[in-house]
Amino acid sequence: MNKLMVFGVVFVAALLGLTWVIAGGQMGDDIVNKLAMLGAVATATIAIFVALKYIRQMQTDKASGKLADENWDGIGEYKNELPFGWAVIFLGLNIWAIWYFLAGYPVNAYSQIGEYNEDVAAHDAKFEAQHANMDEETLKEMGGSIFIVQCAPCHGLQADGIDGKAANLTVRLEEKTIKHVINNGQGMLGYPAPMPDRNGLMNMNTNALITDAEIDAVAKYVAGGMKGTEGADVFAGTCAACHGPDGKGMEMVAPSIADFNPTLVADVLKHGKKGAIGAMPAFNNLTEVQVKALGAYVTDLSK
Amino acid sequence: MDNRPLEYDYTVAKMFMLTTVVLGIVGMLVGVILAWEMAFPAVNTMLGEGLAEYTNFSRLRPLHTDAVIFGFTLSGIWATWYYVGQRVLKVSMAESKFLMFLGKLHFWLYMLVVVAVVGSLLMGITTSKEYAEFEWPIDIAVVVVWVLWGMGLFGLIGIRREKSLYISIWYYIATFLGIAMLYLFNNMAIPTYFASGGIGDWYHSVSMYAGTNDALVQWWYGHNAVAFGFTVPIVAMIYYFLPKESGQAVYSYKLSLLAFWGLMFVYLWAGGHHLIYSTVPDWMQTMGSVFSVVLILPSWGSAINMLLTMKGEWQQVAASPLIKFMILASTFYMFSTLEGPIQAIKSVNALAHFTDWIVGHVHDGVLGWVAFMIMAALFHMAPRVFKREIYSKSLMNTQFWVQTLGVVLYFTSMWIAGITQGMMWRAHDEFGNLAYSFIDTVSVLHPYFTIRAVGGTLYLVGMFLFAYNMYKTMTSSRRVEESELQNASPMGA
Amino acid sequence: MFHWLEKHPFFFAVAVFVVISFAGLIEILPNFAQASQPVVGTKPYSTLELAGRHVYIKNSCNACHSQLVRPFKSETDRYGHYSLSGEYAYDRPFLWGSKRTGPDLMRVGNYRTTDWHENHMKDPAAVVPGSIMPAYRWLFKNTADIDTAYAEQVTVNKVFAVPYNAEIPMADGSKSTVKLAATLEEAHADALEEAKAIAADMKDQDVKDAVAAGQIPEIVALIAYMNSLK
Ligand code: HEC
Ligand code: HEC
Ligand code: HEC
Ligand code: HEM
Ligand code: HEM
Ligand SMILES: [Ca+2]
Ligand SMILES: [Ca+2]
Ligand SMILES: [Cu+2]
Repeated sequence: MNKLMVFGVVFVAALLGLTWVIAGGQMGDDIVNKLAMLGAVATATIAIFVALKYIRQMQTDKASGKLADENWDGIGEYKNELPFGWAVIFLGLNIWAIWYFLAGYPVNAYSQIGEYNEDVAAHDAKFEAQHANMDEETLKEMGGSIFIVQCAPCHGLQADGIDGKAANLTVRLEEKTIKHVINNGQGMLGYPAPMPDRNGLMNMNTNALITDAEIDAVAKYVAGGMKGTEGADVFAGTCAACHGPDGKGMEMVAPSIADFNPTLVADVLKHGKKGAIGAMPAFNNLTEVQVKALGAYVTDLSK
Repeated sequence: MDNRPLEYDYTVAKMFMLTTVVLGIVGMLVGVILAWEMAFPAVNTMLGEGLAEYTNFSRLRPLHTDAVIFGFTLSGIWATWYYVGQRVLKVSMAESKFLMFLGKLHFWLYMLVVVAVVGSLLMGITTSKEYAEFEWPIDIAVVVVWVLWGMGLFGLIGIRREKSLYISIWYYIATFLGIAMLYLFNNMAIPTYFASGGIGDWYHSVSMYAGTNDALVQWWYGHNAVAFGFTVPIVAMIYYFLPKESGQAVYSYKLSLLAFWGLMFVYLWAGGHHLIYSTVPDWMQTMGSVFSVVLILPSWGSAINMLLTMKGEWQQVAASPLIKFMILASTFYMFSTLEGPIQAIKSVNALAHFTDWIVGHVHDGVLGWVAFMIMAALFHMAPRVFKREIYSKSLMNTQFWVQTLGVVLYFTSMWIAGITQGMMWRAHDEFGNLAYSFIDTVSVLHPYFTIRAVGGTLYLVGMFLFAYNMYKTMTSSRRVEESELQNASPMGA
Repeated sequence: MFHWLEKHPFFFAVAVFVVISFAGLIEILPNFAQASQPVVGTKPYSTLELAGRHVYIKNSCNACHSQLVRPFKSETDRYGHYSLSGEYAYDRPFLWGSKRTGPDLMRVGNYRTTDWHENHMKDPAAVVPGSIMPAYRWLFKNTADIDTAYAEQVTVNKVFAVPYNAEIPMADGSKSTVKLAATLEEAHADALEEAKAIAADMKDQDVKDAVAAGQIPEIVALIAYMNSLK
């Protein structure tokens, strides 16, 4: 082996080695990944060895053959035969192409959508058992991984809402949101009756519509995690009727405003949400387990 | 006249040589900017927020592709045509005032189109179809330029002394016909200003084809624009310049013949490989895949023919940087015409499509093959059109190694980036959900984007060395006699 | 024969032309014969959406973004249902792209909202840390070209019979109509109405002021377009 050969082999080995080190970890058992890697290997090795073969010929062989009569600007042409390997492969590939197209190609048996459906079925089958019985911890973990892909672009990797661009999911509710809801009402989470706006919110303690001062107080109280006494009376008099005395919500009446829970998350995913902060689209293409997982994960965030 | 050697007239060739160098530098400078923008987005606003509309990645990308294809490559094709054509047909441009006039008109109208293209692309006037971005007024000008070239081409052939057409001429003719047919069909559009009775921008148009059909026509064009812009005319060049510079006879006429007709026949079928797993019918995609694989052979036919032409001539390869450029070019040609077909295989394309692996494939073709060959051609022509030796051989050697390193960094980094990204997009985690958010698959590429930017910058540095060498050759290197210009080009140390 | 052709340039050219043209005929014509029919729910673009599409093209968003969801599990998980040919029936030109430096946008209207786009287009990295997408601040200042969008609507309606002012079947069984204004003034008024609804969900005061004053910034049109991608 001369210098060039060594260099060629080293180069190909380095390229393929690097590719393997960097991308190989993602291979998994995906047939597409494997074929692509095989393609990469074939490209690099065939190219370098064929090139080296001809370089060898430059180094050791000699030009020969019969020259054609014509000559263009001093350029002559040998009447050499076709290189044998080239001719055979060309012919073979042509025959293969014609055969493949006329006979070999499964015109009736193949469709890319059919292939897709099979892939999806295989995927679902593979995870069916696992999804059927997941404990809380695993659900949370799974929720976390979905969150990074589907939710983090809005809520941020830390789920903090990126500086007020979306809801901060590490705290249940912020003052701004609560005030907005009280002032405008809200009805998009699928409850039989919406929450009325301030013109429909009576404070049972005073038997009058809720006032600005009371809104401030109760908003602080709820945002603060329903601790302390300030605002507690307004809450008990106005909100508890629907959200329950502890704010944990009542089935079919109103959601929990004391903490996140899987039902609330599921409702938000089903209906989307539009409020003081902005709008969130509905996520109806998630599977049931995925919704459950997200519920577990988001619930855990503010604990 | 018969006893005197012909005096070829290189006026038009010289004009196009100049634009090849200038547009090459412009186009690749923009490419380098793009590459840095992808690695460090702050470069998008390098001239300030106010100018970001014109310097950001998306506005500049079409400018890069069109400048290097329709500026650099096309100028190179024409520079060599106006040189090679005369010589292998054994007829001088000076013999026909009409052809001379056509040639000059061709050049100046082309210049006008270049200015219009640069201006309109910077303003964001584009139809979005890749490599066919220009709006209809420019398209019409392009057609006129093309027809002018065609008249010159067939005109020169018409008055030739050499009865039989040399291989290079086959390829120039095919370039002319191929692009003419493709460009016309893909750019069919209806100007909305006229159809709506005078509303809106006068230059705006709407494509004649919709959706999947539009895609089909676009990639029938796009793929074959590569064929008739980056392959066919460059093969025309190597068939002339390599045998000429080395003084060797072409290895095999038969191989030239089969490779040519094979390429003509097979190329057009392969366009479907840009539409794999799209909404075009399965059979067309499969046709694209199958013919792409067949295409390896006619492509390699020319490359092998050239490499075998140098059989036993290693000392020339080692001694001449000019021949090195051409040998590396045909090696890269083999490489990209193997890589392309492999990427065209359905399951490989499932991973490679949309990734940087494709960009890597593109650039080992264009940097390693197209640009290397064009520069080699210009190096060979320079002493003959300027009657001076090439200014510096050592500069040429430096350029060769700097640019080779540039290409290698470019394609290896994009190769790894593309495969990594393709696999990450597909990955599912242990719960069966997507394993990575999109931004994960972007951030991971940062090192490779940076390496590519460095590689591109090296290549651009090589372009400046090239320009400087050409400039010195033109203006101040040693004058040479006709007798020194038989084969190997004279070069100063 | 080949030797003869090489001495007869005209016939040589004819031979080349024949060889290179019939592949195109065989591959492309069949699909034209069965020109893609819109699927249920595919609507032509409104004036504002089309103006937004022009903004998208003007800024070559397609240089980084595809609009083609391939039938792979990983893609349908990320972007939604795989693409169907008929969904592109009104796309002139098609915008599939060939490089995904950024994610596919074929159905981005399903999972991103007006306010998100507003934040993101102004400063992508502030929303998605590490984003390499350029910030498109000039879109908040430049005015969208409603005239040209309207001219295009008139053109495609006239030349390609794109069904404006016609009932279009929707997936839920209902019918929907996309209006083609009778005059340019009417088109402007309609576009402004649409723009107002979008500006209401936005926060940028300059944009809100512009729309209130009857002007439509490019960003508003672009968001209308992106919201329509479903
Ligand atoms: C008549 C019943 C009713 C009363 C009284 C009521 N709410 Fe509600 N509240 C609801 C309902 C129903 C919802 C869910 C609305 C929806 O579907 O979006 C809700 C939602 C909310 C939300 C939004 C939760 C989220 O994450 O989207 C907040 C905050 C809230 N209520 C706070 C209060 C406060 C504070 C009070 C007292 C001042 C109060 N509510 C009184 C019925 C009520
Ligand atoms: C396009 C942006 C966007 C995406 C994607 C998104 N969200 Fe949201 N989300 C928001 C915004 C904005 C709000 C706040 C709405 C408001 O103003 O009340 C919100 C609110 C919420 C809320 C309600 C908080 C509350 O206090 O009521 C929950 C729960 C939530 N998101 C969970 C998720 C989950 C889980 C995902 C991923 C599957 C997700 N979001 C994806 C933008 C988004
Ligand atoms: C330099 C490449 C580049 C250009 C040009 C570009 N983008 Fe992006 N885009 C990205 C990247 C990378 C992301 C993913 C990171 C992020 O969300 O910012 C992205 C994300 C997006 C998203 C979010 C999609 C999702 O699923 O999260 C939208 C919408 C978008 N871009 C629209 C546009 C529009 C409209 C334009 C043109 C005006 C444009 N982009 C130009 C690179 C680009
Ligand atoms: C046998 C020859 C070749 C075949 C079969 C081939 C095949 C391919 C394939 C499969 C793609 C990717 C399509 C996709 O998934 O997006 C591609 C892209 C490309 N190739 Fe090749 N290739 C060949 C030779 C070349 C050569 C020699 C060059 C240039 C010198 C070249 C330039 C390009 C370009 C510019 C693109 C990008 C097109 C786009 O904008 O998407 N190809 N090629
Ligand atoms: C200094 C050298 C060059 C550099 C740094 C460079 C850089 C780039 C970059 C960054 C892109 C965009 C890739 C993306 O969107 O991900 C690109 C695209 C492209 N460049 Fe270059 N380029 C260079 C030279 C050339 C030359 C000489 C040619 C042709 C003769 C060329 C042809 C192209 C083409 C056809 C594309 C589009 C590829 C596609 O769409 O797949 N480039 N280049
Ligand atoms: Ca055009
Ligand atoms: Ca491309
Ligand atoms: Cu192609």
